[in-house]
Amino acid sequence: MTAIWAIAVITFKEGIRNRAIYGISIFALLLLGANLLISSMIMQEVGKVAVDMALSTVSFAGLLLVLFVGINLMAKDLDKKTIYMVLSRPISRPQYILGKFFGMALLILATISILSIFAIISIFMVKLSYPGYFSRFSWPPILLAISFITISLILLSALTFLFASFSSTSFITLILTIVSYIIGQSIMDVKALVEAPQAVGIQVSPVTVKVVQAAYYIFPNLSIFDIKLQAAHGLPISLSYIFWAVSYGAVYTCLTIILASIIFRRREFP
Amino acid sequence: MIKIEGISKEFKEGIGSRKVKALEHLTLEIHKGEVFGFLGPNGAGKSTAIKILINLISPDIGYASIMGKDVSAKDTRRHVGYLPENPYFYDYLTAEELLWFGGRASGLSPSVIKERTNELLNRVNLQAARKRQLRTYSKGMVQRAGIALALIHDPDVVILDEPMSGLDPIGRKMVGDIMMELKAQGKTVFFSSHILTDIERFCNRVGIIVGGKLRLVDRLDNLLSGTATLENIFLKEVEKAGGGIEI
Repeated sequence: MTAIWAIAVITFKEGIRNRAIYGISIFALLLLGANLLISSMIMQEVGKVAVDMALSTVSFAGLLLVLFVGINLMAKDLDKKTIYMVLSRPISRPQYILGKFFGMALLILATISILSIFAIISIFMVKLSYPGYFSRFSWPPILLAISFITISLILLSALTFLFASFSSTSFITLILTIVSYIIGQSIMDVKALVEAPQAVGIQVSPVTVKVVQAAYYIFPNLSIFDIKLQAAHGLPISLSYIFWAVSYGAVYTCLTIILASIIFRRREFP
Repeated sequence: MIKIEGISKEFKEGIGSRKVKALEHLTLEIHKGEVFGFLGPNGAGKSTAIKILINLISPDIGYASIMGKDVSAKDTRRHVGYLPENPYFYDYLTAEELLWFGGRASGLSPSVIKERTNELLNRVNLQAARKRQLRTYSKGMVQRAGIALALIHDPDVVILDEPMSGLDPIGRKMVGDIMMELKAQGKTVFFSSHILTDIERFCNRVGIIVGGKLRLVDRLDNLLSGTATLENIFLKEVEKAGGGIEI
């Protein structure tokens, strides 16, 4: 456990000091600052726009963090051979993957926490300026939406470890992660569409249905973590939905990390 | 102390291309307290053999052990210090944090890490730069930080892959002195090099590897007992192996 923690700590430090993280944070802060300006320009459903914009910014900044800082944290180990100094210690390959993953999860938690504070401040300021548009507003769905964004980012980051465990370059890992993210965001809607094509008056071949159904079970269903709309409209989320979404995220993440460890165990570092 | 028995290793040059033999039936034993110099031209298989000892790669056939334990067991590395060739560490960590990691990962307590870090950073002359991020270090400083990292847990076996590369004369002397100290402490040192003077200065025994095959293993004093120089012996072995050398 000490070894896993030691890897997590250096991964977190290496990540948090990376200049890319400052770029992402500044970009996110500018967007959150613009929230006030954009809300004042729209003057319709201001509360919903402000919440949606703040949560989307946090989510997008988190995605950039996973794609451009997270992937690099492991890819650099392989490209620059930093991994030699880690694996020359009494550390097993699964311990290495776990340590790296925990470090990355900590990095996501820390970055999203800081960005969320600014997101909440931006919503609060819009609320102060236009209280009339916030009649159905409540904070708990917003906090829940932020937690769900964090879970989906940790899941996505676990996928980057899986891809990095077998791919030879960080570029392949990046492409596979982006593809998984896009499929993960839309697979539920696509599955619903191909399973009931008559609803929109199209024809779908049985092979396509099978392929989409297979993709539905293989790729993570990231859309279940997207509750920005409910948060913006102040709609309640059932406890059972929260329970199933969190369980799905946890189980998918664990299985992904286990698979990454199994593949990584056999990898050679010539 | 270190035992390599009949190890062979092949690498694929690329997807679908032919295989290249990196090591062929390598058998070697290094005894406790010995400083063993692994000499060979570039691409001879020195680093491949070392990476097998650290379990970074696995042999196709054969067996390797350190202190009687299979090299594939992670606990074997508790007693081994390793410096890779052209080491590269985390850019944004400081030397102090690098050694903290090495110590913690090897199971040392925080107080021992603190003590060893002070001692080693003084020894490799990085005390003043201990809180600087490694990306600001010169190549020689990184190499010296790597040596401190390899020794943080006071290992019984020290494996150094081209430890002198990238070092200026002062750095070379420092590393040489550290190797002599390790020798005096009774540690087992296995180091690879293609610099003959380094081998002559520090080693008890020498192994010459060419084209993945071990050509010669002997005590240095035996080899140099006549009029032969290590350079002559080395060139002769390379020539015998069919690797013509242009002088």
